[in-house]
Amino acid sequence: MTESNEELAKDLGLLSALTIGIGTMIGAGIFVLPGEAAVAAGPAVALSFVVGGIISLFTALSASELGTAMPKAGGSYYYVNHALGPLFGSVAGWGNWMGLAFASAFYTLGFGEYLATFLPIPALMLGPVGLTSFQVGALLAGAAFIAVNYIGAKETGSVQIIIVTFLVGILTIFSVLGIFQTDLSTLRPFFPAETGGVSAVFPATGLVFVSFLGFAKITTVAEELKNPGRNLPLAVVGSVVIVTVMYGIIMVILMGVVNWQQLGPSFTTTPVLDVAETAFGTLGLAGIGVGLLTFAGLLATASSANASILASSRINFAMGRDKLISDKLNAIHPNFATPYRSIAVTGALILLFIVVGDVKTLAKAGSVLHLIVYGLLNIALIVMRQADVEEYQPDFEVPLYPVVPIVGAITSFGLIAFMKPIEIALSLVFVAGGLAWYLLYARGVAEKKGILSQYILNRSEEMPPAAVSAASTVQPDGGAFRVMVPLANPQTEKDLITLASAIAKQRGGTVDAVHIVTAPDQTPLEHAADHVDELEEEYHAILDDAKHDAETFGVDVETHTIYSHRLFEGIFNAAESHRSALVVLGWEEETHGLSDRVKDTFDGLTDGLPCDCLVLKDRGFDPDEILVPTAGGPDSDLSAEVAKLLQSEYDSHVTLLHVADSKEDGTTFLQEWADTHGFTDAALQVETGDIETAIERAAADSTMMIIGATERGLLSRLVGGNLVLDVVDDVECSVLLAERSRTKGLLERLSGDE
Amino acid sequence: MSQLFTESIVVPVANREDAQATAVALEPYDIGDITVLHVIEKGEGVPDKTPVEQSKQIATESFAAFRETFPEAKTEITYRRDVVAGIIEVARDTDASAIVFRPRDSARIFKFLAGDRSLRLITEAKRPVIALSEEVSD
Repeated sequence: MTESNEELAKDLGLLSALTIGIGTMIGAGIFVLPGEAAVAAGPAVALSFVVGGIISLFTALSASELGTAMPKAGGSYYYVNHALGPLFGSVAGWGNWMGLAFASAFYTLGFGEYLATFLPIPALMLGPVGLTSFQVGALLAGAAFIAVNYIGAKETGSVQIIIVTFLVGILTIFSVLGIFQTDLSTLRPFFPAETGGVSAVFPATGLVFVSFLGFAKITTVAEELKNPGRNLPLAVVGSVVIVTVMYGIIMVILMGVVNWQQLGPSFTTTPVLDVAETAFGTLGLAGIGVGLLTFAGLLATASSANASILASSRINFAMGRDKLISDKLNAIHPNFATPYRSIAVTGALILLFIVVGDVKTLAKAGSVLHLIVYGLLNIALIVMRQADVEEYQPDFEVPLYPVVPIVGAITSFGLIAFMKPIEIALSLVFVAGGLAWYLLYARGVAEKKGILSQYILNRSEEMPPAAVSAASTVQPDGGAFRVMVPLANPQTEKDLITLASAIAKQRGGTVDAVHIVTAPDQTPLEHAADHVDELEEEYHAILDDAKHDAETFGVDVETHTIYSHRLFEGIFNAAESHRSALVVLGWEEETHGLSDRVKDTFDGLTDGLPCDCLVLKDRGFDPDEILVPTAGGPDSDLSAEVAKLLQSEYDSHVTLLHVADSKEDGTTFLQEWADTHGFTDAALQVETGDIETAIERAAADSTMMIIGATERGLLSRLVGGNLVLDVVDDVECSVLLAERSRTKGLLERLSGDE
Repeated sequence: MSQLFTESIVVPVANREDAQATAVALEPYDIGDITVLHVIEKGEGVPDKTPVEQSKQIATESFAAFRETFPEAKTEITYRRDVVAGIIEVARDTDASAIVFRPRDSARIFKFLAGDRSLRLITEAKRPVIALSEEVSD
């Protein structure tokens, strides 16, 4: 694809970007909310809008920096997921998506209110649910907006600019005419005692904050902007400034023309129209004024709803890309070229919210969810800056870092505190829902890790253990089966990698080849990392070999070098942080081996392995004739699994061996065991007498023996050098010792019960 | 000097299935140069219906599906609000001898809503347009 072609993909100029922001925001604050807002704080609600604008401004600055650094579809959600990882990403994604659905329902209900001023729409009883005429109008309108997005009929850019210009123009005329009708005494008391005086300002901000949801939508289409480094910050910050000024002025005028008590929902549903009647009435144009403002109200709410529906499909796409939701949701319609399923699902939610919610609830629900996302977005910015990632090169940087993102995060989360307890509880339900979604669904499929957890895990020695443990606990599994191979001895590298690759291949997994560099206690680990060539010569050669060997096998391989003071601690910490399902270790007597290095240190193993573990006593890798001695138990389950994997990779011949007191009992047991573990074509061998002699005898015909550890902590005794199972030394074939993981459950680890 | 209709053709494809079916339908014929084209619908002033990233992905999939049958085919992506105009423009720029496409069946209501692109392509292109048979046996 040519460069010039690529440029064609970017077709949104500054004006277009500004109109996305202003067009989305202007609908709510002025046309739908003034009544509720007036009741909430009286004339002082003008201040609430200004406060909302200032809070938005901090987040807008942060969003601009993130947007110029990562011009990706998905906007806020993408930044949070990228920086903080898929756990917070799930919260942000769902929060943003549902927040947009609530906001769309709110705008659409506002549209219904304006529709009802001139269309006689009946109220309806739908079974047990009574619908007001507003709701009926909103449902019809909502269905129409959804259909428009589903089919993908879009106005052209010039139409959008005309709409926004018209709106701004009408509101300017309205303001100018209104000023002449404004009576300063009507504005007094500015902080009416009935609403709670000054203290009403912040709670009212919580209500009107929905008027500012829109600036972040510009970032969801950042990839389509021309010259995003300049236009994105200008559009995002500019649209917030413009609407804040407009909101402030218009609120003062509304409440200067008509006493705030008469603007409330108990008097009128469309206070703007009442004020327009007075303002335009001075010119004898009351009817025209009301007509113009009605038209403007319809246009404004419709464009807000439309923009939100579209933005939510962007969030869905970005979540699907990160595998936090099924990508099926993002399928593109073959004829309309729209993400029709995403739009249909969001549409259904919007219609549902219209039926169950009223204007105020929907506005607050939309606000709270967005505030959570905005708070996380500010934290994401701090993480990106602190982690100092090379790819992070924003064209625009927030001024006064870290003040702006810190204030942005505090004010965003802080505003939530001014909501009613029930609203806060509701938002926590959504957060919990996002967390549950991640832990129950997305964790198993998501692959992308956050910058934050990488930052912590890469510095696991310096970070507080709780942080490391938490970061590794919530890592995505990626659905991938990861096999870790700690490598020390070049002689056994090939056999270990071959074994690991065979298993990984069968399970569609990945091999992590890990070279663990142990440093003396006196040597700080950073020093070890910088002087690794002094500690071990050609330390990288073994990883290169491992990579090569695994790749000839056709499995994905990643190589890592890890520095640790304790070999086994290093191995099992690495296994935990990489979420390995299996560790394959070599076991040798020679000086290069593992056993001599660590006689004393590994107490951790007695607590249980973080993952399944295979120890290879290597006498040449040859899986032709596999012997699996079993006496049942979880460790022999693992040996059965491994035997089956090797069997399907190498077409091995498997013999199952059980040593029992009587032949009859033994045969019954072994037959049943073979059936449970799905061995259909294995040879069954039952012996009586001394266990070890029997195993030795059977092993004479085998090329490899896979044996369950059978006793707790066998592995730790193995590395301590006091293995009691002499049979491992006495047989002549290679031996694989299998020990099943006995890791604590996720909940125990989350609760810090270490 | 006479030119063959199929000397150098532009083949618009919408998605993977379409690309595959179109390639299969083209296979029996003797054709010169093929440029397989995907037009990404742009908003031109308003946000797109589909994220650009996803559209590019669809283009890549479509090209891969087409090249299963015609590995030598050239590929082209263009960005236009008006898909038909985009096709015609690329045909002009590559000086194609013909535009070859597979009309996709769609209900009349969709044609009304989305516009009958087949008809527009045939009437607006200033060069031969060949419609492939819709019946494809798998």
